[in-house]
Parts: sequence; C-alpha cells; structure tokens
Amino acid sequence: MTIEMLLGASVLAATLRLATPIALAALGGVVTERGGVTNIALEACMLVGAFFGIVAADRSRNIWIALAVALLAGLAVAALHAYASITLRSDQIVSGMALNILALGLTTYLDYQLYGTTGTPPDLPALPDLQLGFLTGVPYVGDVLGAQNSVVWLMLLLVLVLQVFLFRTVIGLRLRAVGEHPRAAETVGIRVRRVRYAAVLASGALAAIGGAYLSLGVAHSFTDGMTGGRGFIGLAAMIFGRWTPVGALAASLIFGYGNALSTSLQGATIGGARVPVQLLGTLPYILTIFAVAGFVGRSRPPAADGVPYETEGHA
Amino acid sequence: MTQLQGSTTTGPGSQSPAPSVRQPTFQWAGGPAIPILSVVIALLLGAVFVLATGNDPVAAYAALFQGAFGSPYDITETIVSTIPLVLTGLSVAIAFRTGLFNIGAQGQLLVGALAAGWAGSQFASLPGPILMPIVILFGIGGGAFYGGIVGVLKALRGVNEVITTIMLNYTIVFVMHWLLQAGPMTAQNALGTPASTPIGAGARLPVILPNEVVVFSRLHAGLFLAAAAVAVFWFLLWRTPLGYRLRAVGLGPRAAAQAGIDPRRHMILVMVIAGGFAGLGGMIEVSGLFGRVYDGFASSYGFDAIAVALLGKNSPLGIVAAALLFGAFVHGGAYMQSHANISSNLVAIIQALVLFVIAAEALVRSLVGRRRGRKPVEAIA
Repeated sequence: MTIEMLLGASVLAATLRLATPIALAALGGVVTERGGVTNIALEACMLVGAFFGIVAADRSRNIWIALAVALLAGLAVAALHAYASITLRSDQIVSGMALNILALGLTTYLDYQLYGTTGTPPDLPALPDLQLGFLTGVPYVGDVLGAQNSVVWLMLLLVLVLQVFLFRTVIGLRLRAVGEHPRAAETVGIRVRRVRYAAVLASGALAAIGGAYLSLGVAHSFTDGMTGGRGFIGLAAMIFGRWTPVGALAASLIFGYGNALSTSLQGATIGGARVPVQLLGTLPYILTIFAVAGFVGRSRPPAADGVPYETEGHA
Repeated sequence: MTQLQGSTTTGPGSQSPAPSVRQPTFQWAGGPAIPILSVVIALLLGAVFVLATGNDPVAAYAALFQGAFGSPYDITETIVSTIPLVLTGLSVAIAFRTGLFNIGAQGQLLVGALAAGWAGSQFASLPGPILMPIVILFGIGGGAFYGGIVGVLKALRGVNEVITTIMLNYTIVFVMHWLLQAGPMTAQNALGTPASTPIGAGARLPVILPNEVVVFSRLHAGLFLAAAAVAVFWFLLWRTPLGYRLRAVGLGPRAAAQAGIDPRRHMILVMVIAGGFAGLGGMIEVSGLFGRVYDGFASSYGFDAIAVALLGKNSPLGIVAAALLFGAFVHGGAYMQSHANISSNLVAIIQALVLFVIAAEALVRSLVGRRRGRKPVEAIA
C-alpha cells in the first residue's frame, strides 16, 4: 500500500466523481424529509432518470432534451409517491418500496424491449466535462478539479443554493416548519400539502439528475439496475449529514472516498495481507447506523417526518 | 425517517418514553376481497402496460400461467420458489403484528444462509441426524442475530427500524462479497460465481419426490420446514401469552404498557423471531437447492416478502397464498420470456403494482365501497 493509493490525485478526483450521484440523491432526501415526507423511492427516481435520459439522447441526439426527459421521468415517479403519501396518506415506506421495484422492472423491461441484448447504442450525446484551462498544469489541484463533469459542479452549486434556501430564506423556513410541526404551519397560513408536494417533486428531480449523470455523464450507456443502491446510500448520507445540504455533501464525500479506495486498493497489501476492499463498501451503512444510534453524535430527523398530515376537520 | 420520535408510551416505571410503533396500518378488517381485488387491479394495469408496449397481454398471461403450472415439474418448481417467500413473508408479518416494519428480511435471510453454509461445511463430516439440526440452528440463529440488532437499536436507542434494516441489508451484501470472494469462506476451486465451500452431505435437505413421480424435480424437504414455520407462526401469535403480548404491542403500545407489557422488550423479541424466520429461509435455500452459498444468490426474496405479508394480511394462510402467487410469478416469468418473448421483468412490474395498490389502500377501499375497518383500531391506539 502506498500514499498514492490513499491520497493520489486520481483517488480524490474519483472521490468527487463517485460522491456526486450520492450527494444529489441526498439533497433530494434533505428537501423532502425537511418537508415531512419520507421518500425511499429516490433510487427509483435515479433509475428512471438514468434510463429515460439515455432513451431520449438516443432518439433526439440532443443532450439538453435528454436531460429534460430524465428530469420529467424523475418528477413522474416523485409525483406518484407524493400522491400516495400526501393525498391518499398511504404508508410512505410501502409506496416507496413499490416504486423502487416498479422502476427496476419497468426500465429493465423497456431496455429489453428497445435494445434487446445488444445494449444501448454507442456514440450518444453526453453531459460535457468542464475543462478548466486555468488549472491545467497546476499540480495536484489541476488533476483533481481540472476536468470534472459539469454535473459535479452543478451538484456543488446546488449544495450551496439549498443550504441558503433552507436556512436563510422565508420559503425555506416554511418548508422546515411543515416538516417539524405541520399543524402550527397551517395555523399561520402555510399550505401544508402544497409545500409537501413541491418538496417531494424537487427530491425526484434532484435524484433524476444524479441518475442522468450516471448514464449520460459517466457510463454513456444504460445497464439494468445501474444505480445499484445509490439512492439508498444517498438516504444514508442525508442521515449522516444530519438533514442539511452541507452535511449531506460531507457525508457523500466520505462515502465516495471509501468507494474510490475500494478501487485504488484493489490487490494492495498491508504487511503481506490483502486489504479486504469489499468490506469498504459497508462503510456508509455502518457509519449511518452509528450516527442514528447516537454513538457519533445524534442524528435526528424532522419531527413530523413520514407522518401523513390531515387538515383540521378532516381527521 | 418515519415516526422516530413520536412517542406514545410511558410504561409504569420506565423513565423515558418507549419508541413508537407503527400504527396498525396493515391489519385490515374483512375477508380476502381487498387483497384479491388488489391483485386483479395490478394484473389489469399490467395488461394495459403490455398492450401499450406493443405486446399481447393474453399471450403474456397465458405463458405466465403455463410456465408456473403447466406441468407437474413446473408446479414443483413454483413451490420451490414459494418456500423462501413463505419464510420471509412470516418474518415481515410477525414484525408488522408488533407494529414494526421489517424491511430487513433480505439481509436476515443472507446472514442465515451464510451461517448455515459455514456450519454445513465446517462440520461437514458429521452424520445427517446430528448435522442437520446444527445447520438449521445456525440458519435461524444467524437471522435472529441480525434481526436482533435492529430490535435492540429500536428499543434502547429509539432508532427507526426502517433505517437500520435498509443499512443492514446493504452491509451484509458487501460482507458477503468479502466472505465469498476473498474471505474465510471462499471456495478455492469455485469457477465463475464466487461461492462458499460446499456443505456436507448430511446438511443437504433431500429431494422429496422420486424421479418416478416427477422427473428431475428439485422439490426438497424444506417444504416441511416451511410448513412447520407457518404452524409455529400461528401457534405463537394466537395460542401463547407471548404472542398475545406481541399483538397487544402492535395494536397499541400505550395500552399494552398500561397492561404491564414492556413494549421495548417485545420489540427486541419480535425482531429476533422475525430474523429467525428469514434466516431459516436462507438456510433452506442453501441446504435444499445449492449445497453452498453463492454470492448474491437470493435475488429479492426479502423485498418481495413485504408484498407477500401485506397481501396476505399478516395471516398464516394469507401469507402462504400470497407467497404461492409470487412464487408462480418468479418461476412462470422465465417461461414467459422464452416462449412469449416478453421480458420476465413484467413480473416485477406486476409485483410493484400489487404493492402500490395495497399502499393506495384508500383508493381500493373506495372502489369496494366500504370505508370501515381502520377506525376502531385507531381508537384503541
């Protein structure tokens, strides 16, 4: 094992790359749960974003149309979840599970139908990398940041925007009020259901960008189930980051780093023993369990998170 | 996430409020009308989808049925797929009965399989009558341990079980990669899929139908273990004081605490039991089908189990019926893909629709035209 394997520029560049889809899902989770709706269908939103983005790229040959279609797909799944959880007051976990299974079945079915066993076509338009010319030649930093995908920067921007939005704006305050104490929020004239719908839809859009990044930005193709649980790691990052955008980013970077290490440490040895790289994959989940159990600081969700809201007189 | 803090219970003598349990959302009143209607609606929606993608829904469903029940061999294969779903379904259902949502049956099944696989190869030379009980106990114990973690964290630290079970499901997947690819259980000579070293002959569940009855049937004695588990589930819940207390906590932890039942203790207990059912399911797969643990072998039995439990209304016979339906989907789906050229993933879509329709229970209820059922229960809680 060498320092290069642990802290080389390529490892850090990979960390940022791998953290991006996780962070986007986590941001979605922060927004929806701050509004009081649990959305474990983020995985589904990512997956349909990844798939329909590729299909649209194939049909339109235009990356912006592809991105828009990916967003719409994520919004559609989120809308179903919002309708079930907010209007029908269904169990949010069951609805989310159903949508996850549905998205996996649907995309795999349509993938088979459209592309058979040959796979998605090559030479699709892609989400562009951002070449930062002024960083070229800057040692280390240039190698880490100089040629990241545009979505990586978009994600970082969204973290800042959402952090300010949630904690420094009136609308953000209203969103949090709806998630903490919907009855009180309604008493001061906030439309609880409307805010919750908006929050769930936003979470679907954010997760879908993460999915589109995976297919249109990184892989340039779609493979069945390619999100591979990143929506759930996003939920873990949200919890570990204590339901804040900046915290979620920090958690995503930690998880992304663990992920990057499991590649860079492949075959590495410590004192003659193989590093069990597979076990690095457990890092996000074990850290998150420790966090919610209060062993490393207490992670507390919004008070009304996951509880359906009934307007006065309706109950 | 859900109801982490919504405390409802302060039992006599307890200092802090006990963690809340889920409101008994899924203990529907009435007979099988609503579950059957849910399946019908899901099949109709599935048919619309098949039609919309330019395929023939009648051909699809005919092939699905043919594949699942078309020959004696297919019927036995459908039952083979049903067995693990019964066990994971019982796991999810008993937790529901106590007001907990066990999304972790998948992880518990895998731990049970790994524990059984380890014991089966470690003590491979022991004779069957000694080895088989050991392997069964390891399977149950592995799952119970993994479920118990969830119960302890819920009862003592107030951690929502949905979070822990999701996290533990993923944790074991990576631990399994390690164990079977480069860890202590890895088979040295395994080709292709990473796997554990084979279990001893005495740890194998025998095939119960001889070739003269059904040729090449894989239907194994795990069927009897599954049947026994269903009986235990029923007897435990409705014929023992422990079962009564578990159900009381599920119906209303506050009322239960008033009656002197400690909700925390029973949350831990029920997660241990739930994990045990799922772990036995993992053991049965290893001992009955593969003879070793393959990396990632259990596709989605633990996730399908949620739909099985909900569709079966957390009742023994309901779970068996729902597991049979989903088992038929699993086995029939492959035939449908090869004979009607429709992706077997249609099955996943129908399963998801069933689950979504169940979640949208209010919608179905208004279709059936009766809105009673949940209110009286809520009044207790």
